[in-house]
This record gives sequence, C-alpha cells and structure tokens, in this order.
Amino acid sequence: MSDAERTATGGHSHHEHHEAEGPGYVTPQAAIEESERETMAYVVGLYTGTDVDAPDFLAVVDLDPDSASYCQIVDRIEMPTKGDELHHFGWNACSSSCHTEGLERRYLVVPGNRSSRIHVIDTEDREQPELVKVIEPEDVHDLDLSAPHTVHCPAGGGVMVSMLGDAEGELPGGFLTLDENLELEGRWETPGDVEMNYDFWYQPRHDVMVSSEWAAPSTYQPGFDMTDVEAGKYGHRLHFWNWEERTVAQTVDLGEEGLVPLEVRFLHSPVSTHGYVNAALSSNIFHFFEEDGEWHAEKVIDFESREHEGWDMPVPALPTDILISMDDRYLFGSNWLHGEVWMYDVSDPANPRLSDSISIGGYFGDVGSVKGRDLVAGPQMVQLSLDGERLYWTTSLYSSWDDQFFPAEAETGSVMLKADVNPRRGTMTLDEEFLVDFGDLPDGPARAHEIRWPDGDCTSDVWT
Amino acid sequence: MRVDLAWRDGRTASVSAAPDEAILDAAERADVPLPFGCRIGVCGSCTAQLREGGVEHGRPPHALKPRHLRAGYVLPCVAVPTTDCRLEVGADVPRDLVENPFV
Repeated sequence: MSDAERTATGGHSHHEHHEAEGPGYVTPQAAIEESERETMAYVVGLYTGTDVDAPDFLAVVDLDPDSASYCQIVDRIEMPTKGDELHHFGWNACSSSCHTEGLERRYLVVPGNRSSRIHVIDTEDREQPELVKVIEPEDVHDLDLSAPHTVHCPAGGGVMVSMLGDAEGELPGGFLTLDENLELEGRWETPGDVEMNYDFWYQPRHDVMVSSEWAAPSTYQPGFDMTDVEAGKYGHRLHFWNWEERTVAQTVDLGEEGLVPLEVRFLHSPVSTHGYVNAALSSNIFHFFEEDGEWHAEKVIDFESREHEGWDMPVPALPTDILISMDDRYLFGSNWLHGEVWMYDVSDPANPRLSDSISIGGYFGDVGSVKGRDLVAGPQMVQLSLDGERLYWTTSLYSSWDDQFFPAEAETGSVMLKADVNPRRGTMTLDEEFLVDFGDLPDGPARAHEIRWPDGDCTSDVWT
Repeated sequence: MRVDLAWRDGRTASVSAAPDEAILDAAERADVPLPFGCRIGVCGSCTAQLREGGVEHGRPPHALKPRHLRAGYVLPCVAVPTTDCRLEVGADVPRDLVENPFV
C-alpha cells in the first residue's frame, strides 16, 4: 500500500472500506473517475393524453457514437395498461448502498403519475430490460395515496416514492415505501405531516430530507389554471425532515417569489448542507442551506419574464428542471417556456455565477431546429454525464401542460438533444449532429420525459 | 343505454352501457379506444362534452371546475349514463379545460 492510499483510507471515519461492495460508487468523485461514458439511456416515453391507442413505455436509447444505431430508440418496454403518464423513475439501489453487500443496481421503479400504477423493470439485460412487477392503483389507494412522483432508495434496500395526493386525488400527499423485494410496504410518514408534496432528496450524514410542493393531483393534472394560483392551490414551501425520525423538523415558506418549488437537489458531497430548488412559476432559483442549526432558503437566481409580441401577459421563463454536476461545481437547468438551457458556477453556493447558456426551442429560442427537425417545445428534463461533459435534455413537461403551452408537441412528439460541456472553461456547445426523435415511432409520435443512465446519474445517487 | 361517441375529426362510434356502467368501461368492452388516465375522476384525461342526454358522475368529478360542469363537460371514467346520450370525445376535448394564460 502506498502512502497516499494509507492516507485516503485512514482519513475516513465513516467508511471502513476502501472499495465498494454494493452498487454505485464510494464518493461522487469516484463516480467521475470510475464510470465509463454513457452508451445508453433509459427515457420514459408517453402516449397518455393523445388519441394514440398505445401504452406509455420505457425507451432504450443508443448513445454510443460508434454504434450503427446511435441516437435511435433501440427497444421499448411497453407498460401493460394505457394512461399511466410515466414521469419520473428511479433505482432500487444507488451509491447510498455502496457498502451493502448483495444489493445491486438492477431494478427500475417506474410509476404512472396519473394512473398511480407502479412498475418494476429488471435491467439485468440492460439493452433489453423486462417488466417484472406491477403494483396496481387499488393497492396504492388503499394507503390513501395517489400520483407517485420521485423514486429514491434509502440506503440498504427498499424504495421510497413521493406521492402527491390522497386516494381521491386531493391533499394530503405523502410517501410510499416498497420493501427490499419491491413489494408494497406502507407509508413512510405520518399522514398529514405535509399537505402538498412533489420531489425529495435526502442527505443522510446530516440526518435531513427535504421535500417540495407542486399541488394536489386534481389541481395540476387537468392543466395549469391561473385561478388555482390565485386560490392558493399551488405550493411555495420546502419541508426539512428529520430523516431518522420521519418528522418535519422545519418548514420554510419561500413566499410569492417561490411559487411551485419543484426539483430539490442537495450537493452530491455527503458533507454538504447546501442545495437548490427551482421555483418554476416564479422563475427563481433558491439556495437552501443550514446555518446555526436552522435551514434557510434565499433566492439566488431570478429569470426575468419576457414580452411576447401580440400576447397579453409577460411570459415567465419557467425553469422546470435543475441538476448539480457530480463535482458540485455547476448548477444546470432548463427554462422551458423561454427556450434556454443554462449552467451556473456554484463554487460559491450562495452566489451562483452564469457560466454559459444555449438559446434553443421554446418561445424565444435562437435555435429553432436540429438536423432539420423543428423544435416545437422548450428544453425540459435535463441529465448530465457523470464526467460532466455531456448535457442531454427532453422537451415534454406533462401532457396536459404541454397541450397548453406547446400544443404542437402532441402532433410531432418530443426530441432528445445534447450539448457538449467543457467543465474546465464553463462552456456549452450544442451538438448539432445529435437528435433522438420521439416523433418517429411505430405507434405514433410520443412525448419524452425523464432520462437515466444505467449506472447512475447526477439526479439518482445519494452518498451516506 | 345507448352512448353515441363523436370525435372532432368526424369519426363516430356507438356503444351500449350496462346499468351503472361508466362510459369508459362500456367503450372498452366494445373495443372503442378512448383516452384516459386516473380512472377516478381526478386527472381529466378522458374529459368529454355531453351534447345530448344525461349522465351522473359516480364519484366526484374533481378534474372539472364549476365552469366546466356548466358547459357540459363530463368525465367518462366515472360518468354513468342516465338516458341515451351523445358525447364529443377524444384527446382534444380536455384541451378545452385550460388555456395558455399568457396569450
């Protein structure tokens, strides 16, 4: 053993083992160093909300530039039933279980946000995954829950899913758990601990979990109605939970500038008490952090609304997704309505600094087509390679909201696009040769939403 | 009950609903595909507009606001015909429920 290795292992009181025995990577930096370039992606595709008589599916997308089928959807795992609205999905195990011998990152838990049906897909054959289990809506409703959203694996097996509504599609939502065999287990929290729910992320070394708020399913599912905002039916709070005790320790009200806080992202470093959330409707990014034993949230990025020629109201940017690069240096995100992907230097977490952006798609994007394919919607779900050098995104937000803001997407389907990132220079360049077209499929044009890599990504993994 | 379905592109179909059978279930039994999502009256994906006849919602139609109900919108996933009826159906009907607020 070299001196360097002795120092590295000796310095980690939390980690007795130098090597991981379970899934994932020992540290975020290990994920960067030890991972190989992503050669395929899992992307949810959907027909819910169209007249295409076909179920939603998980697409396997070839991302290997040396492959003959590069940029093509090489397999589709169809759900057993129509109407799910597949949305977000996650793994049975991630780096949080890297010391749990016997666990493997193998099963994708893929919920239907409208149907409340939860699917389990086995990726042992990663190019041809297989649907192996379905949890039916009636069993989910029996827990007085509906509308599953974010899937995370607490360390050591099992899965936790944020649920946006009760069995009637009203409030309160809550959290559902699956056991280590991915069987329905029960509720994680005490019903009523929170009213609204959306995304969550936990930082186990600080015994904290943070959750955000969208709205009741009966509010957001039929579409976005400004009268619901005026009636206070959309969320504006963050909840900081005691992770072990499963209780809300503190609620932070983001106020009018923090309407519809969606994706909550802690920095990847397990020692960090910093994170970000995108207040989509107010079009602001908030930095949240712990200081003097309390959690605080401060607006750190404010996207200005823009006037659209001939329209009555200024158009908000609608930053609908954010992520943090695995090295914790950059915050990436998308402004769905304006048509922009951006990266901010967050090396000083309280003072993000714009590094670069690409104006593409949406209402104001400079780039209106890629490889001859017209872009009919803005950038939405983003995913970054583990090495931070390739940013990919899709263009669908939610079927009913797509129909309101980008109605043409129902006819043409979504696209998946890519930018090459230079994480040393802080620059992004659109890859003009990269296009995955979800409009060109046998059953008809499909929408595309969340993207995941088979070996974990910048929004899937947590470190203990 | 006889339920006539009309799409905005001109297609039509006719299905028969058993007593207490929701319109979506009756259509599925007849292999007539309609859009749907939650099947509990919450998400609005199946929204149709009643043109003739009557229906009763077997569960509260949460997806529809009073202004939608007044305009005759119904949810086939939980709506049971009370008379023979005629509905406008298809994925473009729920798009009536909300508009782009910035335009």
